[in-house]
Amino acid sequence: MFESANIHHTMANQSKEVLYGLYDDEQVLLQAVHKAKADHLDIMDVYTPFPVHGLDEAMGLSESRLHQVGFIFGAIGALTAFLFMTWVFTRDWPIIFGGKPYWSIPAFIPITFELTVLFSAIGMVVAYYTVCGLAPGVTNPTLDDRITDDKFCLAFQTNGASQQEIDKLKSFLSASGAEEINAKII
Amino acid sequence: MNQYQIDGKLKTVLLGMMGLGLLCLILTFAYDDALHTRFWSNYLHNAVFFTGIGFVSLFVMAAFTTAWAGWYTVVKRVFEAYSLFLIPGLILMLVVIVGMWGGLHHLYHWADDKAVAADPILQGKSSFLNKNWYTFGTLIIMGIWIFFANKLRTLSVEEDMSGTPDYNHHKRMRIWAAAFLPIGGFTSAAIVWQWVMSVDAHWYSTLYAWYATVSWFVSALALIILTIAYLKSKGYLEEVTVEHLHDLGKYLFAFSVFWAYLWFSQYMLIWYANIGEETVYFRERIDNYPVLFYGNLLLNFVLPFLILMRNDTKRKYGTLIFVSLVVLFGHWFDFFQMIKPGVLHTAHEALAHGAEEGAHHGHASAPIGFLIPGLLEIGTMLGFLGGFLYFVLNRLSKAALVPKNDPYLEESLHHHT
Repeated sequence: MFESANIHHTMANQSKEVLYGLYDDEQVLLQAVHKAKADHLDIMDVYTPFPVHGLDEAMGLSESRLHQVGFIFGAIGALTAFLFMTWVFTRDWPIIFGGKPYWSIPAFIPITFELTVLFSAIGMVVAYYTVCGLAPGVTNPTLDDRITDDKFCLAFQTNGASQQEIDKLKSFLSASGAEEINAKII
Repeated sequence: MNQYQIDGKLKTVLLGMMGLGLLCLILTFAYDDALHTRFWSNYLHNAVFFTGIGFVSLFVMAAFTTAWAGWYTVVKRVFEAYSLFLIPGLILMLVVIVGMWGGLHHLYHWADDKAVAADPILQGKSSFLNKNWYTFGTLIIMGIWIFFANKLRTLSVEEDMSGTPDYNHHKRMRIWAAAFLPIGGFTSAAIVWQWVMSVDAHWYSTLYAWYATVSWFVSALALIILTIAYLKSKGYLEEVTVEHLHDLGKYLFAFSVFWAYLWFSQYMLIWYANIGEETVYFRERIDNYPVLFYGNLLLNFVLPFLILMRNDTKRKYGTLIFVSLVVLFGHWFDFFQMIKPGVLHTAHEALAHGAEEGAHHGHASAPIGFLIPGLLEIGTMLGFLGGFLYFVLNRLSKAALVPKNDPYLEESLHHHT
């Protein structure tokens, strides 16, 4: 227990030694990810220039909980708007508009809708950036600039791996169709 | 199993439903007021509801074709079969037209010459709200719809037989589909004004045509989802995966929200402006139809919105079928509360005239069947539904379930949301 927590801690601070393969085609990459999972290799991450259908399932990623965040923020937005208007128009500054009652629900609906969307959208963006570790001023090292262009990358972390294990990963990458195999410390 | 066959058991059930519907119509007619208000309004309600489902299926198919939509190709034949219901739909509406010329019903206040003579508002509208416009408008517009439905269906079936690698049939379908979109858009509005909105002859709303058409749209989607679920349960449509259902579920969700948007837009503007001529429509419904008025929003917006919001509920048969049933009946209730109050008002006036002339008194204000749907209404609806499904499934069995030469078939087979 203590040991694993410790390893996690050092991994977060220490620079990562990464062995990665670059693929030319997303279908080849997808096959490689399936094969890596079947061989019980521990994938660090996969980088692609565009979303690849089926990659999430292949990597065994759990479903994103971002939409739950969106629902909660949306509900907060709806309540904020509705309760605020209720307070303003019945307690703080009651004014009669067009002969309507102070508490005119239909008139509150458009604003309630808008704040629901606004809170939900901003809440999701902030939550997403927080979880991804993205913030102004943060630099994220890239393995290779071409993974934002036309290369698909499958990366393994090799901190503390023996030469034998690294050779095994290299032979896996070349066997699965990687065009280039590089190592880098990030 | 690329060729659908109606099995004997289903045929019996559907014929039974039609028999029930006929029985209910006869009973309604027999125990009705002097003007047969309940009978005629039930008939109009269901005829309009199911004909509209046919129209929307055609319109959506034309929109999908024009937009180069690939995902729906494996369920395209269901849309085609639905659109062909316009042919019996025309016959259903012809009955209303014949009834109008024969003076058999008092569905429309503007069709009553005596009432128009004494009413400046109806006179002002008489260049559009008159028997000729109603008759020839319906005949010509529905004729055009049927022409396009047949055209798209014929090309699609021909493509199965003699499709070529240059996709000649599909290119022609695309031209016909694109031509239909503006025609269908404008004519459907005119049809909604004539068939439905004019039952409240003094009242009008510029949003009404959209609101009613989207009501049809959601009903059509719900019924299409139910049909596909049924066909899959019988082992047909193996090519249709959970991905296609997911997209249909998204449409159901999106257009339930769109319906609520239109409903609210219409309501809020009338509520805000607070002009007596306009608010009378909602005053009548809130006072006398509270269950339907608020239930409408619950069934057609709150439930589909909250249930279908999640990803997984659109991918499971249980939730998708449940929501489809809810909104199908929900929009049927929606049309009930669009049609009944206006017809009831017209009947009251006509009966009051009759009373002055010494004719019999009616009981058009009895709540069941007028203010809320009764068992006879439900039975009539099931009858029409049985007839609708019988016709549609029969059309479905006339062609292969999967259009094998459609250029988008491959895309549809590998569809992934």
